Amino acid sequence: MEIANLPISPSQRAKLLSAGYTTLTSLSAVSPFQLARDLNIALQEASDILKVMPEFTRSESLHGGNAILKGAQTAWDMLSEEQMQKHITTGCENLDTILGGGIHCKEVTEVGGVPGIGKTQLGIQLAVNVQIPVEYGGLHGKAVYIDTEGSFMVERAHQIAEGCIMDMLDKFRHHQKVILACQEQMQPNSFLANIFYFRICSYTEQIAVINYLGKFLAEQKDVKIIIIDSVTFHFRQDFDDLARRTRVLSGMSLELMKLAKTYNLAVVLLNQVTTKFTEGSFQLTLALGDSWSHACTNRVILYWNGNDRHAYIDKSPSLRSASAPFSVTSKGIRNATSQCKRVRMM
Amino acid sequence: MANKLISQMGLPPSVANVFAARNILTAKDALSLPEFELMTLLGMGLDQVKSAVERISEITCPPYQTALSLMEDRVRLGGHLPTLLRGLDDALCGGIPFGALTELVGPSGIGKTQFCLKLSLLAALPSCYGGLNGRVIYIDTESKFSSRRMVEIGENSFPQIFQSEGMAQQMAGRIIVVRLTSLPEFTERLQQLKLTLIQHDVKLLVVDSMAALVSGGNDTRTAGPKQHLLRWPLSFLKSLAEFSRIPVVVTNQVRSQSSNEAFHYPFQGKEKDSSKNFERLESHLIAALGIQWAHAVTIRLVFEAYSGQKFIKVAKSPMSPARAFPFIVESSGISLLNDDGFKVMGREINTIRFQGHNILEQ
Amino acid sequence: MAEFNEPRSKATASVSSSGNPTSFLSRASKCAKTLEEGNRSLSDDAGFAQVQPMMEDWHQPWLNGVELLEDSNRNKHFLPTGYEGIDVLLGGGLCEGQLTEIVGSSSSGKTQVCLYSAAHVADKHFGVVMFLDTCNSFSPKRIACMVDQLSSSFSGEAKERRLKRIMSNIFCHSIFDIFALLDVLHQLEFNLKHQVTSGHTKICLLIIDSISSLLTPVLGGKGSEGRLLMVSAGIILKKLANEHNVSVLVTNHMVGGEGGILKPALGESWKSIPHVRLQLTHDQGSNICNVSILKHTFMASGRTTKFVIHG
Repeated sequence: MEIANLPISPSQRAKLLSAGYTTLTSLSAVSPFQLARDLNIALQEASDILKVMPEFTRSESLHGGNAILKGAQTAWDMLSEEQMQKHITTGCENLDTILGGGIHCKEVTEVGGVPGIGKTQLGIQLAVNVQIPVEYGGLHGKAVYIDTEGSFMVERAHQIAEGCIMDMLDKFRHHQKVILACQEQMQPNSFLANIFYFRICSYTEQIAVINYLGKFLAEQKDVKIIIIDSVTFHFRQDFDDLARRTRVLSGMSLELMKLAKTYNLAVVLLNQVTTKFTEGSFQLTLALGDSWSHACTNRVILYWNGNDRHAYIDKSPSLRSASAPFSVTSKGIRNATSQCKRVRMM
Repeated sequence: MANKLISQMGLPPSVANVFAARNILTAKDALSLPEFELMTLLGMGLDQVKSAVERISEITCPPYQTALSLMEDRVRLGGHLPTLLRGLDDALCGGIPFGALTELVGPSGIGKTQFCLKLSLLAALPSCYGGLNGRVIYIDTESKFSSRRMVEIGENSFPQIFQSEGMAQQMAGRIIVVRLTSLPEFTERLQQLKLTLIQHDVKLLVVDSMAALVSGGNDTRTAGPKQHLLRWPLSFLKSLAEFSRIPVVVTNQVRSQSSNEAFHYPFQGKEKDSSKNFERLESHLIAALGIQWAHAVTIRLVFEAYSGQKFIKVAKSPMSPARAFPFIVESSGISLLNDDGFKVMGREINTIRFQGHNILEQ
Repeated sequence: MAEFNEPRSKATASVSSSGNPTSFLSRASKCAKTLEEGNRSLSDDAGFAQVQPMMEDWHQPWLNGVELLEDSNRNKHFLPTGYEGIDVLLGGGLCEGQLTEIVGSSSSGKTQVCLYSAAHVADKHFGVVMFLDTCNSFSPKRIACMVDQLSSSFSGEAKERRLKRIMSNIFCHSIFDIFALLDVLHQLEFNLKHQVTSGHTKICLLIIDSISSLLTPVLGGKGSEGRLLMVSAGIILKKLANEHNVSVLVTNHMVGGEGGILKPALGESWKSIPHVRLQLTHDQGSNICNVSILKHTFMASGRTTKFVIHG
């Protein structure tokens, strides 16, 4: 590995190179004093440079255990971990079926659809459902709701929380113990108290909030879902340099991936649709372009199929493409009203 | 928040100076660059850039609220402008919400302007009569605003107020009409409005109509108005609504559907061909401002007419199921024939029909 | 362009071979100066004379064509991906010592090919597969499901044991920025070098899904530093592949180019790095994928074949 690849400033790099330090090995045995003198820089700066050196080149005791790579996990361990993992239910069984049990933690799921199809509804529903107590088979987590469009309606969140509580109590009506144990949690207001709401008014704030979330999540340990409604709005409104927009967006998506993995939580991005001319006709497609379509783990598209709302798994490493109907009721997202089974695997 | 100065963020002076020297002055300047570009531009190491960006982000990031405290705010401050159409108010959880963009879409002559006039009056009325007791800014782009009609609506809906001496004048005086014809003019006025709204206790902003600004006059039937011109006014209107906590109501026209309209995703394939033709016949009108606009509005009310009946439909709303209410336009403005309305199934909620009246001949 | 051997003595530890003789010499003279200050007088010439043989030592041995052929016959095997179509197209599979790149638009099956190859290679070759994941798309569940299909002939318990064996031979590491990638690659290289002596299970396949998502945030700025990082990542990958007989598989996405035609992201400067470049396309609504060779070091490009991704 060369000096050129170290995350240090260009001027420091130039100094290192001109002083003859071209590879990491050449730096591995240098003391900060020596480096400071060779480069004619402050001691502090020299020790900062040495700090960014990869750990293993500094420490001589390399072989602690037989790990091939520090931090790597075998697929076997990950599989058993994943089997322990609970998913966040959408409230609609059919939708949960095609999603493999609900929205998965450690993954970034993007949901897109035309205006009025129910994206925000799904977002609010997930912010509520993530809080279902463990006794009721939920995750008992908290939610971060990042609202870029001002479409989060707290009245609606209250309604959905009530609907969720009603259904839970009904489902567990024979388990008096459970009901008694969680009486306090099962109040709409305590659901609302665990939704952290950020209102974002520009893309700068959107980037800022995502950068800041790392710190926020370290303090608020129980957050299990981050919802961004919508990820598109400000980037489509006022970003003029498209090439730079792509870079900033892909940086942002890596940051979100990292949050999902580090804090073991689900990230749900709501996206708008736009029209695109391909193969001689106009078709609907999710906004932000081709490059962005790689920025999520799973992609779900909500669409009208005749008079029913349907969800379609457009992209996923682990789920097969499938579609299922759902409906938006006063209680929230539920199964489609016509009760025939219409989950379709493709 | 985006324009906060980096020099005032408490970064170590050496770092802050580098930012200043490279002309990166605000949080916006810094955060719209990827970290890597910052590294090369500032000539700093990754760790330094990371910690600087972290600091900038933390300060730029707006504070959070729990949904519960949001709810308490709503209850305390009031969150709606009641339309006094009971069915509609119920569906919208109390009326036109503060802090959000509400759009009225429909063919011309169906009653959008009537609805706007009525809302303006309601916002101007003293609180003891259920109004907001504030001023109204009415941006009229098609010269459709009629004070006489407004007073007529007032006299018929609130006879007790408008019969008392001087009230009619006082009410009318609270409604400030701004006549505009072009988009640049509109953009300019919007910027001035920001201050006006707060200084003059404005409680409602109406833009009638938005589509006319973009398409330049009445030429809305030709496809493809220049959508990108709306980007800035759109986000500005939204932020105006948000920060002054007032309802913003805009109207949108309709146009006939052109052949290059997309309704399907690639994965839906060709199976839809037959139903596509069906849809074409069924709904030949669509909102003049396209899909991007539709994404941005929080509430969309569709005005339509068919079978000799007019309807208001709650087409997009985060809190209401799809409902339609039959209405008539009377001397007192719009009134609902039926407060229960009826449920609309599926995508029909988005169609705009205008049967019995041929729009092309008007 | 990186160090070749471990430094031998403390005095020369800070010196290393490099492709840049001037900087090397300046370092050498500096070294000499240091020694001088330490009251051990040595002229610059003497310092150089001391260093020169080491330079030659650290240089890679010169190889002639016959030796190269031998090396390739002995050490560079094909790793079948398990997809018959791809394996036939590539004359046997992913070649050890080579860098193979898969390009394709979103949901064209890139990750599926990666996961399936990982499962198949771990199954058949008793080597270790290293999966560097940048999109949280490594799905152990999906691999388990693939293994299940591969071993439909086994009975219950044997199946379970087999699954465990295969899954324990696949390692996954999440990476979210380019510096972390370089760090990890460097670490891998270091560890591989030590394994030669300690005789660990050998890494035979290294997968990076996707490399383009790490590189897009750094590319296209004003300076060329981003491109430099990209190229050096490519060089390290190829070096790893060649010296340790690892097959490297990376994925790259597609972006809209001129006229709305899709083209691979990571432009011209990346194009020359991979040995083999495959393009995947996927027909809407079916599980049949088309794969075509865009570039290959010893086969004609442009050939196309189909394969089926099982649900």
